[in-house]
Amino acid sequence: MSSEGYEFTLKSTIKDLLTYKSGIFGALFLILLLAISVYAIVALPYDETVRLWRGEGGVWLENPRNAQPYWVKYLGQNLPETIKRDSTQPELGGTVKIVTPIPQTDMKLARISFTFDFSYDGFPSEINIFFSAKYNGSAPLLNIYWVKPSGTEIRLLTYIPRSQEDKLYLSVNQQAANALSLYLNSVLGKSPSIPLPIEYSLFAVEDSSMNSSATAKPLKGTYRLYIDGTLFGKDSDIDAKLIVYGRVYGMAGTDNQRRDLTIALLWGTPIALAFGLTASATITFLELLLATISGYYGGKIDSVIQRITEIYMILPFLPILIMVSTFYKLDLLVLILVVIALSIFGGGIKSTRALVMQIKEYPYIEAAKAYGASSKRIVFLYIIPKILPPVIPTLIASVPSYVFLEAALAILGLGIPNLPSWGKVINESFNAGALYKGYYYWVLEPAFMLILTALAFSFLGFALDKIVNPKLREV
Amino acid sequence: MAAKDLVKFVAKRAITILIVIIIAAYLTILIANMGGYVDEIMKSEIILSVTTRFQNDPAFKNYPQELRDKLINETIMVEFKRIGLDQPFIIRSFIYLKNGLTLDLGRALFLTSDSGSRMVKNIILERVPQTIMLFTTATLINFFLSLFIGLYLSRHHGSFLDKLFIAGAPTSVIPGWFYGIFLIIIFAAYFNVLPYGGYIDVPPPTTQLDYTLSVLKHMILPLASWIISAFFLGAYSNRTFFLIFSTEDYVEAARAKGVPPRQIETKYILRPSLPPIVTSLALGLVNSWSGAMITETVFNWRGLGLLTYAAISATDTPVIIGVTIIYAYLLGATVLLLDIIYGFIDPRIKMGRTS
Amino acid sequence: MKTLAENILECKNLVLHYSTRKGVVKAVNDVTFSLQKSESLALVGESGCGKSSLAKAIIRLLPRNIEKYSGQILVNGQDTMTLSEKEFREEIRWKKISMVFQGAMNSLNPVLKVGYQVAEPLLIHEKMKKHKALEKAKEALSIVGIHESFVERYPFELSGGMKQRVVIAMALVTNPSILILDEPTSALDVITQANIMNLLKRLKKERGLSYFFITHDIALSSELADKIAVMYAGEIQEIASADIFYKKATHPYSQKLMASVPTLRIDKKPEFIVGSPPSLINPPSGCKFHPRCTLAFYKCTKESPPLSDLGSGHLVKCWLFEEHKEAERYERRTT
Repeated sequence: MSSEGYEFTLKSTIKDLLTYKSGIFGALFLILLLAISVYAIVALPYDETVRLWRGEGGVWLENPRNAQPYWVKYLGQNLPETIKRDSTQPELGGTVKIVTPIPQTDMKLARISFTFDFSYDGFPSEINIFFSAKYNGSAPLLNIYWVKPSGTEIRLLTYIPRSQEDKLYLSVNQQAANALSLYLNSVLGKSPSIPLPIEYSLFAVEDSSMNSSATAKPLKGTYRLYIDGTLFGKDSDIDAKLIVYGRVYGMAGTDNQRRDLTIALLWGTPIALAFGLTASATITFLELLLATISGYYGGKIDSVIQRITEIYMILPFLPILIMVSTFYKLDLLVLILVVIALSIFGGGIKSTRALVMQIKEYPYIEAAKAYGASSKRIVFLYIIPKILPPVIPTLIASVPSYVFLEAALAILGLGIPNLPSWGKVINESFNAGALYKGYYYWVLEPAFMLILTALAFSFLGFALDKIVNPKLREV
Repeated sequence: MAAKDLVKFVAKRAITILIVIIIAAYLTILIANMGGYVDEIMKSEIILSVTTRFQNDPAFKNYPQELRDKLINETIMVEFKRIGLDQPFIIRSFIYLKNGLTLDLGRALFLTSDSGSRMVKNIILERVPQTIMLFTTATLINFFLSLFIGLYLSRHHGSFLDKLFIAGAPTSVIPGWFYGIFLIIIFAAYFNVLPYGGYIDVPPPTTQLDYTLSVLKHMILPLASWIISAFFLGAYSNRTFFLIFSTEDYVEAARAKGVPPRQIETKYILRPSLPPIVTSLALGLVNSWSGAMITETVFNWRGLGLLTYAAISATDTPVIIGVTIIYAYLLGATVLLLDIIYGFIDPRIKMGRTS
Repeated sequence: MKTLAENILECKNLVLHYSTRKGVVKAVNDVTFSLQKSESLALVGESGCGKSSLAKAIIRLLPRNIEKYSGQILVNGQDTMTLSEKEFREEIRWKKISMVFQGAMNSLNPVLKVGYQVAEPLLIHEKMKKHKALEKAKEALSIVGIHESFVERYPFELSGGMKQRVVIAMALVTNPSILILDEPTSALDVITQANIMNLLKRLKKERGLSYFFITHDIALSSELADKIAVMYAGEIQEIASADIFYKKATHPYSQKLMASVPTLRIDKKPEFIVGSPPSLINPPSGCKFHPRCTLAFYKCTKESPPLSDLGSGHLVKCWLFEEHKEAERYERRTT
C-alpha cells in the first residue's frame, strides 16, 4: 500500500524538524522575528508609530539626515555622532549662560557659550541653532562666534530671531559662508576652487588639505560657539540649542526625513508577518476546502470550481491587484482581503483535488459511508486531516511570496499608507536616489530584513516538506 | 478511431478554453473600470481640467460667461466622445469585449507608442520584442540549467554538490527582482561596471555591432537576477523529481534486467516524466511573457510589464484590455497545445482514457 | 553428500546494511544458504524481516544509501561479488539470474509497449534484431498463457494477473537458470494466485528452473518448495527440506509459523506470535527472536546462536539445539 499512513503529532514533527539544519535555522529565525514583532508592538504602540512616522510636529528635527547606523565605525572611519548643547538643559554639559542687565536701561547682555569636544574622523552633516527668545517689543540682536581648538576666533554672523521660536540653519547661512570664506582666504592665501561646505570650513584642519572637500580632514580638539546677545526689555530672555548633526545615528541610521530607521525595521516585522501569514494561511485553507469540495462531490460543483480556477489562472493577478490598489487607497486589512480574494481559486486547487480524488477511493472512506457517515463528516473528519499535512509546508514556504508581494506593491508606490513597511522604506530610498548618493544602508537594511524573513519561512517550509512528504524522506 | 477521438477531445477543450477566456477578459474589463467607477473619476477630471483651462486662458477672458460656458460644455462633450464616455459603461464594456476578442484592439485613450501611433496594436507590438528577448531567454536558460543540473544531481545523490543544492533551494523564494536590486547596488552603484537599467545606452550607439553589444550589456543584470533566483530551486526540484521517478519499481526492474544506465535514464526516467517537464516549460514561458512587471520596473526595462503598469496608472482601458487579451489567448493556446502534445506522449491519454 | 558443484547458487556470509537518518538498517545479517539445480527454495518470513533485501542483495540491486555489502555469492561456483558492475550486468543479469518483482503492477514501464519490455533483455544481452526479439517475446508470452497480440498493448491495459504473467515471461525470455521470485502472488486474488502457481510449477518441470521463492505465506510456499528457509530479523533461522520442515520444524519461530496456519479439516485454534517484528536498526541482543520466544533462556539474551547442523541439510539457529548437541558430545566423551 502507499505510504500515506504517516501519523503526525506536533511533538514528533518538531523532533524531526530539529534533525534538519535548515529546520533549526528556520525555527530560530522565526522565533527571532516573532520576538521583534512583539517588542515592536509593545514598545511602540500603533498610534505612536503612525504619528512618529508621519513626522508630525517636527519630532525628528534633532536627528541628522541620511545618517548611517552608529556601528559603521567598526567598519572604518569614526564618523561623528550628533552633539547637542542646550542652554535650558545644563545637564548636557558644556554650556554656560550668563545674562547681565545693563544698568540704567532695560537692555540686557547675554552670553551663551557652548563647548564641545570633536574627535571624529569625519565632518558633521549639518549645524543648526534653535533659539527660544522671550521679548515684548524688539527681538534680541545676536552675534555668533566660532572658536577653533587652535584658539582662532571667527565672527560668523549677526542674527535677529524672527519669532520667539526660531531656527538658524547655520549650514546654509550666507553671512556665515562669506565670513568663513574670507577667513579661509586669509589663512590659505587663496580660496578653494570649489567653495567648501560650511561644516567643512568650520572644522577642517587648516592646511593645503582644505583645498577640496575630498581631502579635507577635521581638526580634533575642543570647539566653542558663543552667542553674544543684546536683549531688549526687562523680561526678555534668550535660550539657545546648538545641534551639530553627526553622520551616524542609532542602530539603523536615518532617512532623508531624519526618521529613525529602527522604527521602520521594527514595525515592518509584524506587518510582514501579519500579511504573509494571514494571506498564506487563509488562502491555503480556503483552497483546501474548495479542492476538497470539488474533488469529493464531483459532478457539476466540480466542473464549476474547475472552470473558475481556470479563469483565475488567465486573469493577470498582479495587474488586477495594482488596478485595485490604484483606485482605492488600501490599508493593511483590505489589502490582505483583496489578495486573498484574487488568489483563492489558484493553481494549488488542481493538485490538492487530485489528491482528494485519490483518497476518495480508499476503502476506509467506503467503510465510513457504509456505516452512514454524512458527507460533511467524511470530508471534515477523514479527508481533510489526510490532505492537511502535505499542504502545511507549502503554506509556510509561501509566506515569503506574500511578504515580497507587499514589498513589491510598496516599491511601485502602492503600499499601505500610514505604516512603515520594509517595502515602503525601499521605495522611499529609491525615490530619494539612495543608490546614486551612496546611502546603501537605507536600502540594504530593509532588504536584509526581507531576506531574513524569507529565509526563515523558506528553510522551515522545506524542512517540513521533507518530514511530511514521505517520498522525500530518504531522497 | 483514435484520430476521431482526438479531434473531438481537442474541439471540446478548445471551446472550454475559449469560454474561460471570454469570462476572464470580461472580468478584467470590469475591474479595469471598477464597474464604472473609473468613468466617474475620468469625467470629473475632464470637467475640471477643461473648466480650468478655459478660466485661465487669457484668450477667453473677454468672452461673456454664457459663451464661455457653452464652449466649455462643447469641449467637454468632445472629450467625452473621444474617450467614449458618452455611452453608459455597460454597453461600452461589451463593445470592448467583442473588439478585444476579435483582436480589434482600437486606439489607446492616453498612451502612445514611441513611433507616435495611438493604435493599441502598435503600442503593444512595440514592447513585445523587449519582453520576449529578456524573459524568454531567462526562462530557457533556467529550464535547461535546472534540467541538466537536476539530472546530474539525481545521479550523484548524496554527494556534496547535491547537499549544497538541497541547502540552497530555499534561497529561490526570493524573487528575481529582489536579487536585481542587490545586483544593481553591487555592479551599477558600487563598482559601476554595468548600467542601472534601461534597454540601451543613451545616446544609442550607431553601428549594429555596438548596438547589439549595448543591449546585451543591459540584459546582463536582469538575466542574472532571474537566473540566480531560480537556480537552486530549479535544480533541486528537477533533481527530486528525477529521483522520485527513479525510485519507481519499474526502474528497479529495468536495472535488474541489466538495462544500461543510459537507456534507463532516457526510457525509464525521462520519458515517463516528460509531460510535467514540458508543461512547466510551456507555462513558464507564457508566464514570463506577462512581463514580470516588477522586474521591468526595477530595471526600467521598457517591455510589456512597464506598459501594463503605465496603462493602469493612466487608466487607459483599451491598452489594459489589449495586453490581457493577448496574454489570455497565448495562455489558452499553450494549454491547448499541451493537451494535444500529451495525447502523443502519454499513451494512456492517446487511448482515450483521461490521466 | 552433495558436492558444491551441484549448487547452482550459494550465498556465504552475505551482509547488506544500509544507512538511514535513524540509524543503520541491518537488513541482511550474515546469511548463508545454498540452492541446487532444479531446486525450489522458499524463503519465508514476516514483513520487514529482510527477505526482499536478501533478494536484491543476490541480484545486486543495491540502495543508494548502502553501508555494507559483503560476503560471497557463488553462481555455478563463480563468486559474483568479484565482478565489476559492467561484468555483472553482462554476465549475470538475466543471463544466469532473473527476478520477478513484488508488485508486478509497477514493474512495467507505463509508457513502453508490453512486447518491447518483454523483448528488451534480448535486445540488450543477446543483441538480437528487433523483429526477432519480438518473435521470441511473443513465444514467451504464449508460454505464460498470454495471447501474442498483447505485444502491442500498454501495461495499463492489462489486469493484475496478466501483468504478473508478463513479468514472468519477461524474466524467462533469456532462459536463465535461476529465477528469484519476490512475493509473486501477494497482490493477486486466490484464483489468479493458483493459476500463477500452477504456471510456475509447470515451467519448473519443463525447463528445470531453480527458484528462489520469497513469500510471507507459509501455506503458499508448500505448493512449490523443495526446501524451506525461515528468515527473521535479517538472519536465516532455519533451513530444511520441505518434508522435514513441514513435519518437524524445530526452530521455535518456525513452529509458531506453522501453528499459525489455519487448517481446513481440524478444528484448531490458530495461534499467533506475541509482539511485533524487531527493528532492524536496533535489533535485540543475542538471539534476535528471544523477546518473543516462549522457550528462551538466559544464554539466548546474551549470545547469538550459531547454525547447528541437525543432519540431512537441516540447519537451525537456536541455542536449544546447540545445547542439545553439547549435551550429546559431552555424553559421548564421557561414555
